[in-house]
Amino acid sequence: MSDSRPTIELLDVHKRFGDLVVLDGIDLAIPPGETTAIIGPSGTGKSVLLKHIVGLLQPDSGRVCCFGTDLTTATERQLYAVRQRFGMLFQGGALFDSMSVGENVAFPLEQHSKLSPAKVRQRVEEKLDLVGLPDTWDRAVSQLSGGQRKRVGLARAIVTDPEVVLFDEPTSGLDPLTSDQIDRLILTMKAHLGVTFVVISHDIVGTVRIADHIAMLHEGKLVAWDRTPAFLRSEIPIVRAFLQRNLVLPSGPDDVATLPSFG
Amino acid sequence: MSGLRTALASGTRQVGAFSWFVLDFTRAALRYGPPRGQVMREAWRIGIASLPILLTISAFVGTNLALQGFNAFRPLGGGRLVGMFVSLAGVRELAPMIAAAMVAAKAGTEMASQIAVMRIGEQVDALEVMAVNPYAYLVTPRLLGILLVLPALTIISIFFMVLSGYLVSVHQLGLNGSVFLHFASQGIAAVDFLYGALKAMYFGLVICTVSCFFGFTCQRGPEGVGQATNRAVVVSAVVCVCSNYFISEILYGGLS
Repeated sequence: MSDSRPTIELLDVHKRFGDLVVLDGIDLAIPPGETTAIIGPSGTGKSVLLKHIVGLLQPDSGRVCCFGTDLTTATERQLYAVRQRFGMLFQGGALFDSMSVGENVAFPLEQHSKLSPAKVRQRVEEKLDLVGLPDTWDRAVSQLSGGQRKRVGLARAIVTDPEVVLFDEPTSGLDPLTSDQIDRLILTMKAHLGVTFVVISHDIVGTVRIADHIAMLHEGKLVAWDRTPAFLRSEIPIVRAFLQRNLVLPSGPDDVATLPSFG
Repeated sequence: MSGLRTALASGTRQVGAFSWFVLDFTRAALRYGPPRGQVMREAWRIGIASLPILLTISAFVGTNLALQGFNAFRPLGGGRLVGMFVSLAGVRELAPMIAAAMVAAKAGTEMASQIAVMRIGEQVDALEVMAVNPYAYLVTPRLLGILLVLPALTIISIFFMVLSGYLVSVHQLGLNGSVFLHFASQGIAAVDFLYGALKAMYFGLVICTVSCFFGFTCQRGPEGVGQATNRAVVVSAVVCVCSNYFISEILYGGLS
């Protein structure tokens, strides 16, 4: 039986740092089992929004609910219980430099599961295989390229088979070919895992390929939020301006052939 | 004047932030406990990192105590008191301070810079998101490690100070070795070693909490890491040296 209630819900979320208003009344519901991308120019509060979703930041007012738990009033124990249902890929991978690739990916399992070391190893090898880095358990993190770091970060994010995976700029700082690889990886994982994805990005080309829904943040407000094809046809000037920089936009409802996709 | 006011306001803010940090850390330490196997690893790392430099410094402090003691007491006819001077100054004051200073310089700066790099590299956030309390994971093992190892380093420092003082007194200054050792043992009691160890544990507490605090509150960028490291060692040293007076007053003040 499928449950269509939103996995994550933000209700009238406000956040400011000093005089700077970063989030100004955000209402957003992330549907389960689909990929929602949050886009917008740099410095519009995308990462701040993501940090609210995992409870790393608390809103000044408003509510953030994940799996029915209000994170603004949750105890630390409740917050940690919710976080165990999440996986997150950080912008730079956020890998622990003192550990090998395998130890990094195994870390969440060792902290929270009662799996035997052999089972942990097997699970980690599976995930490393999935992200295209087989037989890299012993490799030092310092030996990895930027793209490989992200892929290891991705393996760590999914190693516990979480219900929601969050991506903070999964392709920023990567060359176009590696960005394509990461986007393909996200699509493959979506097909394999069937989990809810939330992607923060300003790479509109990649976003269109992977997202079912797109929301756009601008100056702390959610200026548009719709299914991807409808979003691309949006007439809102700021959305048009943002999209036109990177895409050949469809002119009408039937014209979707110009959308970038993996053939 | 406005510069002074800004500095005072910033200092007050830092003290407030440090108090919150200690409170949060204490709560986390009591709730979660240290991660498996990390305490001994940290103790070993702190000990090994600080040992060579501590041995060198302790040996040369001992030599100078012997020289200065000899020069000070000889005109008064008390050259024999060199042993007592070396052991008294070394055991009660210098060994705990020097062990603490070396650990602050080596292990304290390492703690601050490691945690600062983790903070700006989002690794601390990653711990949080993986439902691992960063205070319990990063600070608790370092604190327990330093509490275990700093008293041991202090005892080693005492031994090297007295040994080097003995060698200089006997081989350079021509004093009788047995007399040196006799007076050295007269200057101190077994309780002094306990007090030295207690002082060392207090200094360890200061060094670890201060260094980890500056690591956790690091500003973004490489400059932030340098600043955190610098502040960790400066503040640890100032707090240890200043509070040492009050601790000595509590431990030894009643003797006067």
